Amino acid sequence: MAPKDELPDTPERFTVSRRAFLKTTGISSLAATVVGVADADAQTSGARAVGPGEVPVQLLVNGKRLDLRIEPRVTLLDAIRTRADMTGNKRVCDRGACGACTMIVDGRTVYSCSTLAIEVQGKQIRTIDGLANGATLHPMQQAFCDADGLMCGFCTPGFIMASVALFEKHPTATVDQVKKGLDGNICRCGTFTRILEANMKVRGVARA
Amino acid sequence: MPKMQGRGNQTPPPKAPDKYLWPAKPAVIGTSVKRLDGPDKVAGRAKFSYDISRPGMIYGKILRSPHAHARIVAIDLSTAEKAPGVKAALVWKQPGAEVMFQGDEVAALAADTEEHAWDAMRLIKVDYEVLPHLASVDQAMAADAPAVFTGGNTKSGPVQETGDIDAGFKQAAHIVEATYSTHVVTHVCLETHGCVCEWDGDKLTAWVSTQAAHGTAQGFAQGLQIPQTNVRVITQYMGGGFGSKFGPDTQGLICAKLAQQAKVPVKLMLDRKEEHLATGNRPSAIAHIKAGVTADGKLIAYDAQSWGTGGAGATSNFPLPYIYVFPNRRRTHQDVYINAGQQRAMRAPGHPQGCFLTEILMDELADRVKMDPVEFRIKNLPDRAPNAMWGEYFTRGAKAFGWDKRHATGDSTPGPIKTGFGCAANQWGGGGRGSKAHCDINADGTVVMKCGTQDLGTGTRTIVAMVTAETLGLPVSAVTPEIGDTMYPFSGGSGGSTTAASVTPAIRVTAFKALDALCAKVGPALGVDAATLVASAGRIHVKGTPSKGLAWKDACKLLGTEPISVDGDWMDGLSSTGTSGVQFTEAEVDIETGIVRLKRVLTVQDCGLIVDKLTTESQVYGGIVGSINFALYEDRILDRVTGQMVNPNMEWYLIAGMSDVPQIDIILNNMPERGVIGVGEPPTVSTAAAIANAVRNATGVTIRSLPLTPAKVLDALEQEKAGGTL
Repeated sequence: MAPKDELPDTPERFTVSRRAFLKTTGISSLAATVVGVADADAQTSGARAVGPGEVPVQLLVNGKRLDLRIEPRVTLLDAIRTRADMTGNKRVCDRGACGACTMIVDGRTVYSCSTLAIEVQGKQIRTIDGLANGATLHPMQQAFCDADGLMCGFCTPGFIMASVALFEKHPTATVDQVKKGLDGNICRCGTFTRILEANMKVRGVARA
Repeated sequence: MPKMQGRGNQTPPPKAPDKYLWPAKPAVIGTSVKRLDGPDKVAGRAKFSYDISRPGMIYGKILRSPHAHARIVAIDLSTAEKAPGVKAALVWKQPGAEVMFQGDEVAALAADTEEHAWDAMRLIKVDYEVLPHLASVDQAMAADAPAVFTGGNTKSGPVQETGDIDAGFKQAAHIVEATYSTHVVTHVCLETHGCVCEWDGDKLTAWVSTQAAHGTAQGFAQGLQIPQTNVRVITQYMGGGFGSKFGPDTQGLICAKLAQQAKVPVKLMLDRKEEHLATGNRPSAIAHIKAGVTADGKLIAYDAQSWGTGGAGATSNFPLPYIYVFPNRRRTHQDVYINAGQQRAMRAPGHPQGCFLTEILMDELADRVKMDPVEFRIKNLPDRAPNAMWGEYFTRGAKAFGWDKRHATGDSTPGPIKTGFGCAANQWGGGGRGSKAHCDINADGTVVMKCGTQDLGTGTRTIVAMVTAETLGLPVSAVTPEIGDTMYPFSGGSGGSTTAASVTPAIRVTAFKALDALCAKVGPALGVDAATLVASAGRIHVKGTPSKGLAWKDACKLLGTEPISVDGDWMDGLSSTGTSGVQFTEAEVDIETGIVRLKRVLTVQDCGLIVDKLTTESQVYGGIVGSINFALYEDRILDRVTGQMVNPNMEWYLIAGMSDVPQIDIILNNMPERGVIGVGEPPTVSTAAAIANAVRNATGVTIRSLPLTPAKVLDALEQEKAGGTL
């Protein structure tokens, strides 16, 4: 089993241009097509070309190291869902518009459908799958259950991750701040009223 | 052979014995029980079809027509088949066939990774002969329109006529004549349509995102020409359907065929664009309406020619006029076919359209006779009945909402922000029948209730457990509900708000049969007649004497090595049909930007016996939010030149977010005497119409077309300055 430690430096680690690759929170209209790595590299002085085949990628997900071999174009969401079978976070719009894929990377929410896996190596990635402490739900998860802040449940993981990140940053967020903070997520069943209730139940509650 | 009890059987189902009827003082039913699958869903443990992973599983993709209308000349899979990772490929539409809309299925393949599948898709070569297409209702109805559809681009229905139209209009003191319309919207299920198919010899197991597990198994059997007994469909969790997920669909059959060819399980989930293009939509509705009212405010005459499009060859009808009674009326409807994906049932099919087209007109007519809109509506309702309670609800809702503070049409206060009130009514059938269930009670006291229904997020799994617990006198936590699998007894599709009314009677009957079997063991052990025993508060005891009995676990120990295992069917008398509701809204309109913001929605709604108050309320919230989207945001926009959808995504196809949702107040009218009916659809019927009326009340401008986009609001304000919309 992978040790729960810092990601070691490996020769495969690299960085790529945010300008070319970053499809993350709020600036996502770069759309579904990902520019080729060669193109990206051409825009990035000094970075090594990777791909187009599979490359080793190490991710630190919910405190555990994942060693994957994936193509550079694989998103964080797909890497975790289809290569590690952690399917809690959902693929819904697949272009950073609905928030169902929301994960927390180094304390900030990202649309994982629009973030490349190679780009977040070495960062602390948190998904819905790792939020509960064994059988004990995180207070935000419990609040969603108590307030019935879910129906079909497909948007729920993203909403909960966005809510958790919001309160970690703003423990006493007001109703208006919560509304703003969660505007990047969409629920088609229409459970917003109760998601808001769930959030306000957790306001000021000590974290597990 | 036993007599078949299929759905085609005309013999009325048996009436439930009196003791099966819902209890007068329920312990569980009507309370707020948290959904039982909540913890699995919030923890990310719930495995939706999209999340299923099977050993050796590969990924299927469908190549779809980029053209709105074309003939396939040739398809060449040979290069794609040789691409890295590709394990199966097939042609779905043979050369010579026509594709009728952008997104029509052409070919498919499966590869070891999604990335390889995407790459290989680009290597499929299709030659199309592009044909003339119809991208809008106007294009299809034009005199010089190309003949795209066999039998014509339009199809007229029969004239519906009641009373004497001419005599009616002669009695009218005021007549309003105008054209009204609603737009096409798509379901946007967050979990897209799709499935995982796995063959074991000639037996298929499919994990499908569906509203009808059993119906989907039947669809696979018919589509693949295999016995239905060889098909198992599993739907433990599904991410929204709203009327669009009732069978395997083309993608399900393609997935099964790819899996057969590749000899490994295949996952084929549609992407967001495919979901918009090919998995259904709510048809548009347009009507030219002439309506008359007498001087004292009675509706008297109504004449409407309506039309709308349900896409390529699909219907578009809807109820009109809606709820209110015009004694003399005539209506014709015409389906208009265009080159776009076919419509499917969408949450209260037809009703949101009919409601909007009627309710905005009601406010216009009320102004003509200078009556309050609520008073005017009450004056023109059908006779009061258990399923026609609008009069009471309007009165009650108006009071709770503060309707007396409504100003006359047009907010005369200074400044750019205008505020207004609106109201509208809804009706729906609901009801349901035909479910079967199976109950096991084991010697250790555990209880399992199985029913082949499915939970769309409405809380079906939870009410299965609640009704079982109520009947057996147990806490909800003591019951294990098993649903979402065709291995369990038949239950129909979850559509038409029928699930609760179809499932809960079957559960009640089955649980009672299990209880009777248990009492047959307990009676002799206690030395009493089993017929005197009841179950309550965790005990089986003599009715009226709780001390004379056994704790549940001790009673179950009497079963020894032979557990109780009984089947039960839906019975009459525990459910009924017909709901009514009214809604009030308060909206703010910025007349400089045209932006509409909602401040409040209040609803008074009935649905018969409320089973789980918590999840019932959630369905009402959800219906209202769906209708807010319909009124203000979502719109399937087709390019008039290419016939392609301009916004097949979730950033330009607008859906409300948290900041767009106003305060929502729900008043539920519990009617236990009517039995279970269902509430999934009625609340989504009328919010849009109430919003439109609030915008009219705020601005003094009548907008007869949805959605109420800022551009449309500004246009209407301009038009009002130029000559008037009223």
